[in-house]
Amino acid sequence: MTADHERIEELLAGYALRSLDAEDAALADRLLAEHVPSCPSCRRAASELQEIAGELALAAGSLAPPDLLLPRIHRATERAAGSRGSPHRSPLLVLTAGLVALAALGGLSVSLGTRASEAEAQRGTALEILSVMRSPGTTPVGLDPQAGTPAGTGFVEVSAPDVRRLYLASDACPDPAPGHAYQVWLGSDGTFVPVGEMFRPDGGVVLLELVVDVSRHDEVWITEEVAGTRPSSPRTDGGHSWRAALP
Amino acid sequence: MQEGNAFDVELHRRVAAGDDEAFDRLYRRYGPASYALALRVTRQPTLAEEVVQEAFLSLWRTPEAFDPARGTFRAFFLSLVHHRAVDTVRREERLRSRTQRAQNLEPVRGEDVAEDVVEDADLVRRRERIRQALDALPAEQRQVIELAYFGGATQARIAEELQIPIGTVKTRTLAAMRKLRRALSPEV
Repeated sequence: MTADHERIEELLAGYALRSLDAEDAALADRLLAEHVPSCPSCRRAASELQEIAGELALAAGSLAPPDLLLPRIHRATERAAGSRGSPHRSPLLVLTAGLVALAALGGLSVSLGTRASEAEAQRGTALEILSVMRSPGTTPVGLDPQAGTPAGTGFVEVSAPDVRRLYLASDACPDPAPGHAYQVWLGSDGTFVPVGEMFRPDGGVVLLELVVDVSRHDEVWITEEVAGTRPSSPRTDGGHSWRAALP
Repeated sequence: MQEGNAFDVELHRRVAAGDDEAFDRLYRRYGPASYALALRVTRQPTLAEEVVQEAFLSLWRTPEAFDPARGTFRAFFLSLVHHRAVDTVRREERLRSRTQRAQNLEPVRGEDVAEDVVEDADLVRRRERIRQALDALPAEQRQVIELAYFGGATQARIAEELQIPIGTVKTRTLAAMRKLRRALSPEV
């Protein structure tokens, strides 16, 4: 095993235990999306470490849940589906104007690279966004345009507790200045890390899926940065910017 | 690792098709382990109930999140419960002033099988094996695993609490996980 793979396995071990700090977690998310799927030894290691984490759960013991919990879950599934026989489909939801960021948590996710084409990826992302928005338990939160950013382009951040992804969607995102692009940042206790690649809207439309664990962060910030650079902190001296606390 | 998994996979397939009875059977099979785990991590019955409810609701809503090709249903679902529990604790910590998680830690055998829970034999046997494997770890490695997994602490927090470099936390974590893997082999 190479030193790199030793380091990767170290990250994957922390990841399986959910004990990584923000920077390492972002790195692990990236590895899981970009390297692990094509590396047999890392894929096997990730799978085995996940199995061990599952076994560790059993060591906590076994306690009968309160009697009323299952009926409560039944009621929740009924509310989620209208009827329990068709839990995963509901009428078309209209995506409203403005920007929408959907933050969600959960198991390992697929990466955009597995999709057959860009158009298909965009469609898939849109469908996932709609699916998350339909889900019960989502919490919309206003994401405010900062100074210098046009009003009416505010984000809405929506949290759902079952998918480890951050979605960004917009139908009214202003173009960045020439030579610039947008960067998403997630913050924890005032320290921000960049998430994913920079992006530009296409005719005002943004549909992005980022593989990231939102739960480790308490704030989201989108800033306009010089394209092609890898800034270490969010720009604070101008450009469009949106920011909000995560629930 | 396949013992009992074929049964779980079949139940999961039926849940994906909207089968209420299969959903309830998975609840009966994994509800007690899920609740014990959630309670162990969150330390609050109300939060533990929320965690278990959200995990089962998530299973119902997005059953496709489980891919049988990537591991057992048990590991998938109990990891889902664990992630929810840890996330809940961290959110609670953000809302309140930070608390001393270490004070809440107890030995792994803190909760045992309640008398009114009838568990499948394979889960009982697996619980015994993982507990033996944990007991066999060197104390410093077991401590890191318990702080991380049951305490919901990040590696930086563990380094701070134990007053050791974070690199040592990472090294001990990997060494412990490798030993657990060997101890549980060929099941894992």
